[in-house]
Amino acid sequence: MHALAHLVKKELLVLLRDWHALLLLFVMPTFFILVMSVALRDRFAAHGGAPLTYHLVNHDRHAQTDTIVAAFRANPGFRDLGSGDDGQLLDAVRRDRAHFLVVIPAGFGAAMTGLQPLTVRISAGPGTEPAAAKLFEVAMREAVSRVYVERAVADLKLQLEFFAGRARTDSAFAMHAVDKLVAQRSLYDAGQQQVQPSSVQQNVPAWLVFAMFFVALPLSTTWVQERGQGTFARLRSIGLSPATLLAGKLLPYSVINLMQVVLMLAVGIYVVPLFGGDALALGHSVAGLVVMALAVSFAAVSYALLVANIVRTSEQATILTGVSNLLLAALGGVLVPRFVMPAAMQQVSDYSPMAWGLEGFLDCLLRGGTVATVAPHALLLFGFGVASLLIAGVVLGRSRGR
Amino acid sequence: MIDIRDVTYRYARAETPALRGLSLHVRDGSLFGLLGPNGSGKTTLISILAGLLPVPRGTVRIGAHELNDHLAEIQATTALVPQEYAFYPSLTVAENLAFFAGVQRLPAGARGDRVGEALEVAGLERTGAKRAAALSGGMKRRLNLAIGLLNRPRLLLLDEPTVGIDPQSRAFILEAITRINRQGTTVVYTTHYMEEVEAICDEIGVLDNGTLLVHGSLTELLAHGQGRRLRADLAVPLSSAQQRALANVPGLTAGPMSLAIDDCDAAECYRVIALLRTEGVVVARMQYGHGNLEELFLTLTKRHLRDS
Repeated sequence: MHALAHLVKKELLVLLRDWHALLLLFVMPTFFILVMSVALRDRFAAHGGAPLTYHLVNHDRHAQTDTIVAAFRANPGFRDLGSGDDGQLLDAVRRDRAHFLVVIPAGFGAAMTGLQPLTVRISAGPGTEPAAAKLFEVAMREAVSRVYVERAVADLKLQLEFFAGRARTDSAFAMHAVDKLVAQRSLYDAGQQQVQPSSVQQNVPAWLVFAMFFVALPLSTTWVQERGQGTFARLRSIGLSPATLLAGKLLPYSVINLMQVVLMLAVGIYVVPLFGGDALALGHSVAGLVVMALAVSFAAVSYALLVANIVRTSEQATILTGVSNLLLAALGGVLVPRFVMPAAMQQVSDYSPMAWGLEGFLDCLLRGGTVATVAPHALLLFGFGVASLLIAGVVLGRSRGR
Repeated sequence: MIDIRDVTYRYARAETPALRGLSLHVRDGSLFGLLGPNGSGKTTLISILAGLLPVPRGTVRIGAHELNDHLAEIQATTALVPQEYAFYPSLTVAENLAFFAGVQRLPAGARGDRVGEALEVAGLERTGAKRAAALSGGMKRRLNLAIGLLNRPRLLLLDEPTVGIDPQSRAFILEAITRINRQGTTVVYTTHYMEEVEAICDEIGVLDNGTLLVHGSLTELLAHGQGRRLRADLAVPLSSAQQRALANVPGLTAGPMSLAIDDCDAAECYRVIALLRTEGVVVARMQYGHGNLEELFLTLTKRHLRDS
């Protein structure tokens, strides 16, 4: 058996006997997923003062449509991010860069009270909470209804005057048309049509990535302890290279990471419903999920090894992994959704490995993504992992196990 | 066995080198005691010999090979036993030995025998199934040593292998080291315990500030640079008349209850003893001869080893 196989076997044996590490790696994330998914079942209130964002494309040139748009834009609860090409904006909403896209078709104003009314189409991003989507739809319906009622009253007046013989023409007016004026759909894609994403669907990826990066804590402290107790010096004196030592940690901890993924997805699917939450749906592409799990795991464990090699003490390892994980999580949209961040912050967020992991998982679980869809995120994560490993290897090589 | 020539080593960002032009020869089969205060360069030298640090200046040959050029071959026949408990506390004694035997690429068929041998030499046969964390300090030291024996090393580097253990375990380990050495293994042994070096080492080197101060057998070292000394502890303090009578003895220093003459030959020693008898000086204890290793060390390094 190769030396690496002995290292992996030893590491797994040591981990299995470390109840604290097992608790941190498996039990804590399980509780986390469970609590957050159930607690955030209806987290519209959690939005607080952060406005919901939307793009609005108005293809109509009718005065009453302009009135509707102006009234809606005056609503302080929503923020207009501007107009543009329908397709591009739809793609942005699909990627949760904004909560909604509103498209008003040409001729909407003219046909509003007719027998064949046109419909204002609202598309909600996959990450948008159902309650928020409902509120947005109601607000739009209210803005449209206000103009509609004014038109209806005017038309009704005309009809009454017609029947009284004071008007020359009847007006085509259909009272039931108001129901058809606004329609909403979610861009959430789980292989089913017209399904709203649940909170578990939106939250599991975030906490999954967060928990996977937390592998840095036990790994880095264990590494520092082993270095301090001379085992690395002994192993280096036996002739084991830095690459073998790094691989001896990378492989078993990646296995642990993948077990975390399976466990947390299983909790989302089977356990959360037992507590009244919705069951997690795995989306179209299991292969995409596997690629993302491997990529996040590689990045997380490599990052842990980098931290382990640049710190000197267990205390430093604990503080650095804890603080850096929280920072990466905050930047990456795990703790604070990216769409509520200012634009500049969102740009910074693009450089967080947790954001790459989160977007990849969201692509799979919310947006119907495939391997091809998640490949850019996965490549960034693999690149980050390789860079971390290279730096860790150089530092380890220089330290010679001391 | 070990031939070190003009080796200088400086750590990154260090103001002074840890080793300065060090040259040393340790013969094949020797049990070499390496002494020196903390920061003297002992660990640096051991790390170089174990291949943990490169040799940037100078040459190190172990056996027939240059260390820098044949590191893998040399490491295969060398073992380092660090001062720390360099094993895994949550694994059992047997699991630790099996793991280290595995990573050393020992033939699969030979691993069981090697583990058995190591357990026997270290006296751990009955503790194979015990977790390393549950062992006493002495047993942990034995396990630390046992791991170093798995590859049947030709060169065994021991970095303070008896720190913090009871006298019984220390005696066991010293005896085991002597036995290993008798079987042909060259041993380099660093310690703070002078009496251990005096008891088991046949060659001794004293290192300070990265320089080898002296090197030789115990007898050679004790004779090195210091003559025989006469020391007397008094039972009764000297009277004024006795003090006046002894004042003319060359090199004699008198304390309230002691007398000493450094560098005193045998004839002078007899004369002083005769004078003490004539003057009626009451002596409780008298020593004549070379000093011990600790005295030599203090003389050479001007520091007390355990306080440095």
